[in-house]
Amino acid sequence: MKPAPATLVDRFRESAASHADSLAIADSANRVSYRQLSELVDKVCSYLLSSGLQKGDRIAMVVANSAEYAGIFYGIWAAGGVTVALNTQAKARDILNWVGHSDARWLFIDRDHPEREAVAEAGSGFTLVDVGAGEADAVKDHGVSWQTLLECDAAAPKIELQRSDLASIIYTSGTTGHPKGVTLSHGNLCANIESILAYLELSAGDSILNVLPFYYSYGNSILHTHLTIGAALILENSLLYPHRVMAKMAEEAVSGFSGVPSTFALLLSRVNLEDYDLSKLRYITQAGGAMAPALADRLTTALPHTELFIMYGQTEASARLTYLPPSMLDEKRGSIGKAIANTTIEVRNKAGEVAPPGETGEICAHGDNIMQGYWKDKEKTDQVLKDGWLYTGDLAHTDSDGYLYIDGRSSDMIKSGANRISPKEIEEVIQEIADVQEVAVVGSPDELLGEVIKAYVVPKKGSDLKQMTIQHHCKQNLAIYKIPKSIEFIDELPKTASGKIQKFLLK
Amino acid sequence: MSTEATIRNYILENYLFTDDQSALNSTDSFLDKGILDSTGILEVIYFLEDEFGIKVEDTEMVPENLDSVDNIVSFIAKKRQ
Repeated sequence: MKPAPATLVDRFRESAASHADSLAIADSANRVSYRQLSELVDKVCSYLLSSGLQKGDRIAMVVANSAEYAGIFYGIWAAGGVTVALNTQAKARDILNWVGHSDARWLFIDRDHPEREAVAEAGSGFTLVDVGAGEADAVKDHGVSWQTLLECDAAAPKIELQRSDLASIIYTSGTTGHPKGVTLSHGNLCANIESILAYLELSAGDSILNVLPFYYSYGNSILHTHLTIGAALILENSLLYPHRVMAKMAEEAVSGFSGVPSTFALLLSRVNLEDYDLSKLRYITQAGGAMAPALADRLTTALPHTELFIMYGQTEASARLTYLPPSMLDEKRGSIGKAIANTTIEVRNKAGEVAPPGETGEICAHGDNIMQGYWKDKEKTDQVLKDGWLYTGDLAHTDSDGYLYIDGRSSDMIKSGANRISPKEIEEVIQEIADVQEVAVVGSPDELLGEVIKAYVVPKKGSDLKQMTIQHHCKQNLAIYKIPKSIEFIDELPKTASGKIQKFLLK
Repeated sequence: MSTEATIRNYILENYLFTDDQSALNSTDSFLDKGILDSTGILEVIYFLEDEFGIKVEDTEMVPENLDSVDNIVSFIAKKRQ
């Protein structure tokens, strides 16, 4: 029997060969077949190898969801490189911070990205490749045009990859001093994708309408599950106009749709799903935070023929850790299900023992999908990886049948919509304002987004600090979703005797 | 204050956090310029409904009506006819 492909690149090559004329990706500009995508992959691979890429080199990308994104991502892998896909909403300071931290030798960036010029001017030590740009538009002395890359030979040599080789670094926060880069091997990603493919029963006949960014692990897993099975990705890059999304779902007769709780809350609040022909919609997946059972009820009522998969995961686990089969939705209301195949999960108490049913403890996971660690940060790695187990920081309990129920988080990360946000990043930026004495940032409950960002600011004595000044500074330096929704000025922050800020008193 | 100025000032104050009028052109796309996200557009709709006494139907939630100051001004004028 033929052995299973060792990496997602091998899987992609097999599916591209078997489904050469099938649709791989439809983005706002093009409909790209597997043959065309495969050619782009080879050209990116050829360009990188001819430019001196060594196996294991990091290549960063700031590219919106598109066929080009997929071509570059798989091209980097095909050349033996490590992908560092960055948040496309990030500002230049974060982009350069991550590029520097990962020692990336190349940065692929969308030609029309608003931070492109700032990155090109301030960056050094890497080659910038303008995605979508013509020769004349290349950044002077700094850039390589997209056209140059497209003129590369499509017959790229095959680079041997092992499952233990590093495949990707995914940054989950951008604090200046300590960005957190999750390192995932080809084996990690391949194992997780295989598990997801099995429970979703995806096949080449499937197609998904995707609104989730590929640079996050949830979107990343959607990209790979589809491209390694010969299925189609229909891209819609914004939920700003929900009717447009629904119209496209109906028009393309997709079989799948994935979102975070706020995706579904938004759609259900502004769209009458019955107005659209979604008869081909076989399944919906939900991850990225707990979804209220009432919202799940509304979804299943509106789409009675569609299966809803509730899922849970972390970037540190490649993406997915658990899922609840649709058939168990009613019986196990509010549960995130059980461990996916090839993954073991335990809820452990503070003593490190397995907690009995009903008792809250920390979700710990073990399996081939668990990351190798945080890039260049042994201390942080040792805090979460112990004896081969990932300590997720998420609190949960099990019921007598072993189904998991999330109870909260042990860390102070803010979960807003699809985004996991480090309060420290925002505090660092606000602290840069001369009139700010102290600041503490917390997540404040929000019906639509789960949490929104709230900043408590202690102004310097005698200053005339305005809310707009703070938010404007944040707008200049942070991605849009990291700008505090509300700011409260207070005389002092609540602290313990040892001076630690008591954030729980601010929530 | 004119409809255009009311909308422009609301966007400037709440999403660009400035009173610098040059920070926003009336034709700037809120989507392309990254000015609004999906919850921001809902807030804008609530603002328009409160401020101008109109009801924005779900089906009217399209870029042609809402994606720039100019588009909103035209949309409000049409709703008031």
